[in-house]
Amino acid sequence: MTEQPRIGPSDPSRYEIRLGGRLDPRWATWFDGMTLDQAEDGSTVLTGAALDQAALHGVLRKVRDLGLPLIAVTPLDPDRPHTPGDGPRRPSKDVP
Amino acid sequence: MAGPLIETKLHVPRRRRALVPRPRLEERLGRVTESALTLVSAPAGFGKTTVLTQWLSAPAEGRSVAWLSLDERDDDPMVFWTYVVAAVRTAVPEAAAGALALLQSAQPSPDAVLATLANDLSATAGHLVLVLDDFHVIESPEVLDGLAFLLEHLPPQVHPVIAGRADPALHLARWRAGGDLLEIRAADLRFTAGEAATYLNGAMGLALTADDVAALEGRTEGWIAALQLAALSMQGRDDVAGFIGGFAGDDRYVVDYLVEEVLQRQPGDVRGFLLQTSVLGRLTGPLCDAVTGGDGGQATLEALDRGNLFLVPLDDRRRWYRYHHLFADVLQVHLRAERPDVVPDLHRRASAWFERSGDHVEAVEHALAGGDPARAADLVEPALPALLRARQEATVRRWLEALPDEVIRVRPVLGVAYAGALMVRGEVEGVEARLQDAERWLETTTASPPGTAPGAEMVVVDDAGFRRLPSAIAMYRAGQALLRGDVAGTVAHARTALDLATDDDHLGRGGPAGLLGLAYWTSGDLEAGHRWYAEAAAALERGGYLSDVTGCAIALADIRTTQGRLGDALRTYEQALQLVTPGTGAVLRGAADMHVGIAAVLLERGDLEGARRHLATSSDLGEHADMPQNPYRSRVVTARLREAEGDLHGALALLDEAQRRYVGDYFPEVRPVAALRARTLARHGRWVDAVSWAEERGLSVDDDLDHLREFEYVTLARALVARYAAEGADHMVSGALALLQRLVLAAEQGGRTGSVLDVLVVQALAHGARGDRPAALAALRRALTLAERQGHVRLLVDEGVLLADPLRAVAVEGPASGSARHLLAAMGTGEGARPPRPHLVDPLSPRELEVLRMLGTDLDGPDIARRLFVSVNTVRTHTKHVYAKLGVTNRRAAVRRGAELGLLSPAREGAAAAVVADR
Repeated sequence: MTEQPRIGPSDPSRYEIRLGGRLDPRWATWFDGMTLDQAEDGSTVLTGAALDQAALHGVLRKVRDLGLPLIAVTPLDPDRPHTPGDGPRRPSKDVP
Repeated sequence: MAGPLIETKLHVPRRRRALVPRPRLEERLGRVTESALTLVSAPAGFGKTTVLTQWLSAPAEGRSVAWLSLDERDDDPMVFWTYVVAAVRTAVPEAAAGALALLQSAQPSPDAVLATLANDLSATAGHLVLVLDDFHVIESPEVLDGLAFLLEHLPPQVHPVIAGRADPALHLARWRAGGDLLEIRAADLRFTAGEAATYLNGAMGLALTADDVAALEGRTEGWIAALQLAALSMQGRDDVAGFIGGFAGDDRYVVDYLVEEVLQRQPGDVRGFLLQTSVLGRLTGPLCDAVTGGDGGQATLEALDRGNLFLVPLDDRRRWYRYHHLFADVLQVHLRAERPDVVPDLHRRASAWFERSGDHVEAVEHALAGGDPARAADLVEPALPALLRARQEATVRRWLEALPDEVIRVRPVLGVAYAGALMVRGEVEGVEARLQDAERWLETTTASPPGTAPGAEMVVVDDAGFRRLPSAIAMYRAGQALLRGDVAGTVAHARTALDLATDDDHLGRGGPAGLLGLAYWTSGDLEAGHRWYAEAAAALERGGYLSDVTGCAIALADIRTTQGRLGDALRTYEQALQLVTPGTGAVLRGAADMHVGIAAVLLERGDLEGARRHLATSSDLGEHADMPQNPYRSRVVTARLREAEGDLHGALALLDEAQRRYVGDYFPEVRPVAALRARTLARHGRWVDAVSWAEERGLSVDDDLDHLREFEYVTLARALVARYAAEGADHMVSGALALLQRLVLAAEQGGRTGSVLDVLVVQALAHGARGDRPAALAALRRALTLAERQGHVRLLVDEGVLLADPLRAVAVEGPASGSARHLLAAMGTGEGARPPRPHLVDPLSPRELEVLRMLGTDLDGPDIARRLFVSVNTVRTHTKHVYAKLGVTNRRAAVRRGAELGLLSPAREGAAAAVVADR
């Protein structure tokens, strides 16, 4: 199991929001200046400035209101290294 | 509610022409009246509203319909419930009368409205279907909690239908598991291939081939809004096959593609009209004219309606419309892409139009949406008093948060309102800064005081509000000082606030007076505390802030209880209760608290039945009739009732719960729940827990005393007495006695007679435990004299066995003997006090007492004789004497009378002997 980057409720993070279907670039203003990119599989990827949880939910509400299928929301966090934990997990000796 | 009610939100949207019959859905909707809750949940454009109106347009016997179309502004408890009540009354005009009366009262509370509404609805005859359309706009936890409460309490003939784009945050799983939830979701709503064909070829008359229909159905995945747009694009087009081919082969967002197709086919002026008016949540001719600058608004709307261009009529007279949400969103994207510069102007014009027509809420929303915060602020300021009085705090908060800092800074009235909004939420940070910003304007007569932009000028729209500012600022400062524990500061600021407030500013007088009451109470001057609270209550009552009067009543009664004046405490609660139960069936917030307060006094006086009754009434009213402290206070009183009933386990569980639900609401914590718990434990011999509580609190018998912690110190002494009784460590009890002596003096000096009584009881126990009988009886006699005056019972009776012993001694003769017998009677039965019995003129001898106790068993005469090592004749002689002294003629009556006098319990054997020894 890979560890997800840990994000607290007040930590802003950048996100990649993937929507089903191709959305015209003119929708960028609707999504408060986020960038719209067309993926090869026909989906649309929204990226932009860091959002806190409230702002992220605001964007998702707009997605919902358009009836667009939401495929994935992925936090982008290049600065923070992934927590080590790639090896097989061993039970700790300290834990009874 | 501040602001007019928008009637159109309460109309079932008119059924559209050219519908596709959907028998499978109508059949399922037929089960609404068998379900506790119906959910119609699907994305925009799936025909949720249409299928509901279609189903409701078919007549049904004995069914009435209440409809409410929600929008973003309804996400405020007061607004939401006002509309729900209005909707219910469109269907059943006589229903919800109590809730309506409450809404129209001076100071309604959403919680009380709910409890009353649930009650009113139970009187409804026939089925009532309550549709809440577009429920996804509701996100406020207060509204959702309220709805959850209502759903739990709805009578079976009311059937709520919640329609929206997202599942509401309610416990749906529970309803689902119980089979009480009817769900209609996107998979049910989407057009099947057959329905698509009926729609395209039948209703829209397009004569498409089966393959064409299949291609459209596939591309739109049965999404009704997309199929409608596609049909509009094909109407009057020669090359239908070409359109379908292009559409099916394109992978763009369906609605985007189709709206563009539709827009391209409109004449230029219609296209411009659609784009410009897309910023409006509701449309009507004159409003459209104001926004577009044209003059054919009404005609254009009617033409769009005829052309089926996603216009939803909101009333039967075709005056108000709205665009289908999906269509409006796409139009707005086109508008912003093509003419971003005109958007603010469109909103500004809409805002001005709404202001002219008296809809200030909508005017503010458009000013904010148009990026004109200064204009929004100008509109918000005069609307504040009405909104705050109507308790639309959520709306006020949202607006103030939406306004930029620099806009609020030059508007002192808004700045102080912001500080007030923060303090209501218990936030301290930022309050002082707001007050100072406002104050600078009051101090300088010149423009731009320090901290504002150069050249900035003060803006005041509400002159009356501006005149109230000095008083309001001082009041908020007093509140902050109190939060910091600065009593002197509280008093100084509150007095300033009072001096500055005008006579008719009831809230401006009641607020600071209440803060003065708190300050004096906290500092130990109970009489001054009481006087100021009484003044606060009077001012608030004059202003119609009745629930706040009950808040004052709690403080007034608490003070009187500490003073030992139970009768005054009871009257205070009873008078306030009358204010909040005006007799119209409506119950205001605070009524539950008053019943709990009355129960507390009755319980102390030994009237367990009365206490039970008032506690039951309080809980029937529901937590929605509570002021903030009631959840914990009601549990404390119920715990004491349980203890009186002998259910120690239940009492402790309730006290634990009370501790978790504790809300002080700025009151001094004079009887901490943890101390009450420790006291209960000590009384029942669990001294280890009680002593460890005192250790955790860091209490020691040598500490300096403070009236606010008096109850804790008496409890410490009680715990030590319990420990001494179990362990016999002498220094414990001598330390406790010294502490008690200091406590009783302090309480006497402070006029806290209730506390004096509390201390005396523990003193009697401590002396008794040490075997100092004369001292124990002296303390007890003093306690009984005080208790008798105001009818205190439980304070002594709760001590049970340990106090029964000295009580019996006092009961025999001398001062306070009647009162002691009265209490012993209460102890004997565990029930309330009974009228005092005539005492025994000739008390029983030790032998007679032994015989009496054995008469209470199954033993017969010879058995008793054997046990007492006497002859059967001697037993007969003793028995005759017992009968004579008790004034009875048979064994059963003797036992009953003995029980009433507390002479029978085996645990009191020593006590019985003591009665005699003390003679």
